[in-house]
Amino acid sequence: GYPGGGNPPPNAPYGGGHGSYGPPPSAPYGGAAGPQGGPYGGYGAPGHGGQYGPGPGGAPSGPYGGYGGQPHGGPYGHHAPAGNIPPGVNPEAYQWFQTVDADRSGFINLKELKQALVNSNWSAFNDETCLMMINMFDKTRSGRIDMFGFSALWDFMQRWRALFQQYDRDRSGSISGTELHQALAQMGYNLSPQFTDMLVQRFTLRGGRPGIQLDRFIQVCTQLQSMTQAFREKDTTMTGNIRLNYEDFLSGAITRLM
Amino acid sequence: DRIKKPSCKEGAPRPNLFICKYRQYLICVLFPRVDKDRSGVISDSELQQALSNGTWTPFNPVTVRSIISMFDRENKGGVNFNEFAGVWKYITDWQNIFRTYDRDNSGFIDKNELKQALTGFGYRLSDQFYSTLIEKFDRQRKGQVAFDDFIQCCIVLQRLTDVFRRYDTDQDGWIQVSYEQYLSMVFNIV
Repeated sequence: GYPGGGNPPPNAPYGGGHGSYGPPPSAPYGGAAGPQGGPYGGYGAPGHGGQYGPGPGGAPSGPYGGYGGQPHGGPYGHHAPAGNIPPGVNPEAYQWFQTVDADRSGFINLKELKQALVNSNWSAFNDETCLMMINMFDKTRSGRIDMFGFSALWDFMQRWRALFQQYDRDRSGSISGTELHQALAQMGYNLSPQFTDMLVQRFTLRGGRPGIQLDRFIQVCTQLQSMTQAFREKDTTMTGNIRLNYEDFLSGAITRLM
Repeated sequence: DRIKKPSCKEGAPRPNLFICKYRQYLICVLFPRVDKDRSGVISDSELQQALSNGTWTPFNPVTVRSIISMFDRENKGGVNFNEFAGVWKYITDWQNIFRTYDRDNSGFIDKNELKQALTGFGYRLSDQFYSTLIEKFDRQRKGQVAFDDFIQCCIVLQRLTDVFRRYDTDQDGWIQVSYEQYLSMVFNIV
């Protein structure tokens, strides 16, 4: 069972719980975003196409599959001469990679990625989303991504960016609660407006008006996919209710989420 | 890095000389050193630069964010002096715990040590679960967990436990939740 009564030593400040002022977005470490949701009964996830892979206009799926079966042997980590783009790499992504890889290591780390990505209001991407994406496209589990991983990440980003613009109906540069609700409904999720409002509230930029930026949109949608998958695995009878014990809950959340 | 004599004055001497000196140290030495832009508020990146995980790699930014948001009362994106005193104590407490388990002073703790630490906090978890934890929080891919990732691991576990407990009203270690409830539970700790 979980620890009764006594909290682990260093207590969060004001008496135990990290109370009302939002628990922060936490670590998205691992690339859980496995197969993207296929059609799913009551609370369906993205309903396009088959079980895997984005249908046309569908939510961008996780990485594996986008990788294009690029054999990892070739120009891995070396700098190909300019103009000599490795096969399977998006040319635009190639150019970006050269610019973003500030230390010319042949890899992009968190700091470099963060510097390369901005939201429509020019705010930098948050650490959680950057880390999440690095972990998704970091095949070697080294905490950084190579050219091929970056190219896949690039495509992933472009698809989310297009969706973001499509759902930002009033062109405000951010997705409001209503817009998010519509977006998720079109992706096949059956969620209450209260729930999407909660998401927007949670991920609204500090001091800004309510709405989420591209980075949070990517984070929310990716994690929603992954957690829906986790729920579905437990909901074998498709009743929309699951029963789970403490450790199952912990490991489900930890492996899926981060 | 001993305490330098503070050059600024801070009120009249108080009964407890040690506490008084420590506070003086925080106000006059530490806070100004960390608050690089002199804004009076310590931001994520300022705190991150001030912290060391003992392994010559940057302190986990996600851990920094978790800690700051725990102490940042007005959601201003940083901590003021009073909050910073809490942050510093919080991190020092974790450091002391970490040190008792990192016996060889490597800056990392392995699965067994992690298990000892968490068992000490009252968690009863399976061996397999500890492998999951190591895999997820081993940011440096060493099969072990560094100080900053250890803190993050404990924070996440505690949050998940808190939210689980809220639903486990009869305290039997099992919950029944709907799809949306499940999502809210997990998004709660994102």
